[in-house]
Amino acid sequence: MRVLIVDDETLARAYLAEQLAEVADIQIAGQAANGFEAVKMAEELPCDLLLLDVQMPKLSGFEVMELLGERAPAVIFVTAHDEFAVQAFQIHAVDYLLKPVEPLRLQQALQRARERLQDPDPDRVAVSAQVALAARPPGQWLERVVIRDGARVHVLAIHTVDFVEAEDDYLVIAAGGKRHRKQQTLAQLEAQLDPARFVRIHRSFLLNVERIARIEPYAKDSWQVFLSDGSHLPMSRSGYQRLRTVLD
Amino acid sequence: MHPILSNRGRLLGYLLLWVTFGALIAGVIAVTGEATLRWAEIFAIPLAVVMGLQCLPCWYLVRGLAPADVPTWRLMGTWLGTGLVLLTLWLAVATLWLRVLKYANLNPNVDPGTLIPLLVFAGSVGVLIAILGLYSAAASERSRDAERRSLQLRTLAREAEMSFLRRQLDPHFLFNSLNSVAALIGSDAVAARRMCLLMADFFRKSLKFGAQQTIALADELTLIDTFLAIEEVRFGNRLRRGLDVSEEALTMLVPALLLQPLVENAVHHGIAHLLSGGEIKVSAKVRGSLLDIVVQNSCDPDRPISRSTGLGLANVRGRVESMYGTRARMDVENEPETFKVLLALPATPVEAPSARSDR
Repeated sequence: MRVLIVDDETLARAYLAEQLAEVADIQIAGQAANGFEAVKMAEELPCDLLLLDVQMPKLSGFEVMELLGERAPAVIFVTAHDEFAVQAFQIHAVDYLLKPVEPLRLQQALQRARERLQDPDPDRVAVSAQVALAARPPGQWLERVVIRDGARVHVLAIHTVDFVEAEDDYLVIAAGGKRHRKQQTLAQLEAQLDPARFVRIHRSFLLNVERIARIEPYAKDSWQVFLSDGSHLPMSRSGYQRLRTVLD
Repeated sequence: MHPILSNRGRLLGYLLLWVTFGALIAGVIAVTGEATLRWAEIFAIPLAVVMGLQCLPCWYLVRGLAPADVPTWRLMGTWLGTGLVLLTLWLAVATLWLRVLKYANLNPNVDPGTLIPLLVFAGSVGVLIAILGLYSAAASERSRDAERRSLQLRTLAREAEMSFLRRQLDPHFLFNSLNSVAALIGSDAVAARRMCLLMADFFRKSLKFGAQQTIALADELTLIDTFLAIEEVRFGNRLRRGLDVSEEALTMLVPALLLQPLVENAVHHGIAHLLSGGEIKVSAKVRGSLLDIVVQNSCDPDRPISRSTGLGLANVRGRVESMYGTRARMDVENEPETFKVLLALPATPVEAPSARSDR
């Protein structure tokens, strides 16, 4: 089993590496010190299992999983926080270990990983959609959106997003004049965002209400929303009603 | 709550006392030879019970007229008036009762003229005793209240202390540090031992300083130094620290463990979110009658606006306000790449050098 260790603390990585060195059927594929390295290494190196920290700078462990999507290997989360366990198992994590990691618990988790690799869980096909949902911290709205752009990863703070447009089977996220494509449905993203901030003004548009400059009637039962940068978006009748309940 | 009316047993005891008092009056009447003992008992005991009932409402006056809170002239005036009213009423009842007994042919030719002085004397004594008794009941109730309140206060203070310590010690800090120790034991036993000692030092200082209201800034800084030394083991060269504190500022008093949570915030909300880390800097100097303290850290310019450093900061602000009121201020500067907390506290020097003699 080839294992990739991901943790922003050098000592935490060294500890896991030391424990894994004693296990015969395990090779350490690599060690990543942050989420960006983790995404890159997980794609470039052959690896079967991630030992993944949750709280890391810029990209959390869950965001790493979201970016890897269907190409993600099996994952064991390793963290000092116990509050992410439910989310972890929602995305079919093999196990969830608490720091300081008990060697025996690590061995049990590795055994579960072996079993999972021999007999892949058919449910994991559905994982990618759920991963995105689980990336949101418990009880909070999404604070940033992570986007793959070839080999690069963009992290957009949610307040920089102007609007989101649905196109075919992906989303276009407009932020500060740039447009990013992301593999997700508009309904999935909408469910994670603060409804007081982002309003579905149209079947294919989700708008940051702070960007609204003015609204003009366009035709019967349809409007145009002008944004502060001068561009405009169409708004449907039901979108108009949703916007009014938020703004009132 | 009325101490006598609220309890049936107590009311019975109270009335029995008055029956005894009535029997005493009856005895005196019989001794003077005005009437037989039997008649005197029939006459005096019901009257004594009436006196007891008359005095019950005095409780509300007693509670309203605590001797410590009310001027003496008002106290005396009120009670003299009340006593006179009670006595007059009672004498009227006594006269009426005498008539009733006379019509019932139980009159052994008693001369009201000789009975009245005796009744006035007995009535005055009865009213006086009743008022003094009620005052002593009120006093014991107040002391019970005071005892309960002081117990409550002590419990509250203890709880505040405990929750303060709990807030101080973030469990994740402990778990992450222990994980570092577990890692070091395999690779560098000397460093592992040093880490254990740092942690012991940090917890001991937290407990010691947490029990004090104010400590010298120098003491608070040694605690912060230990804390950052522990976090340095975790974060390695991602954590850089700076210190710029004047000699004079070191000897000033600050609320114990006020800065430590700010530095902890700086690590968890600042440094921990930066790929290549950043600096935490504490500076302090005395400016006139104020002690200026600044805790600043590098932070991620792309951080979400709503990142919740709120709670820790609110606690610090609450403590500063409750200790100094408007004599101190706290400002927060939230710039893209720097987060700064600025405190201006009244500059109070540590008085006796013995306050820091244990260092």
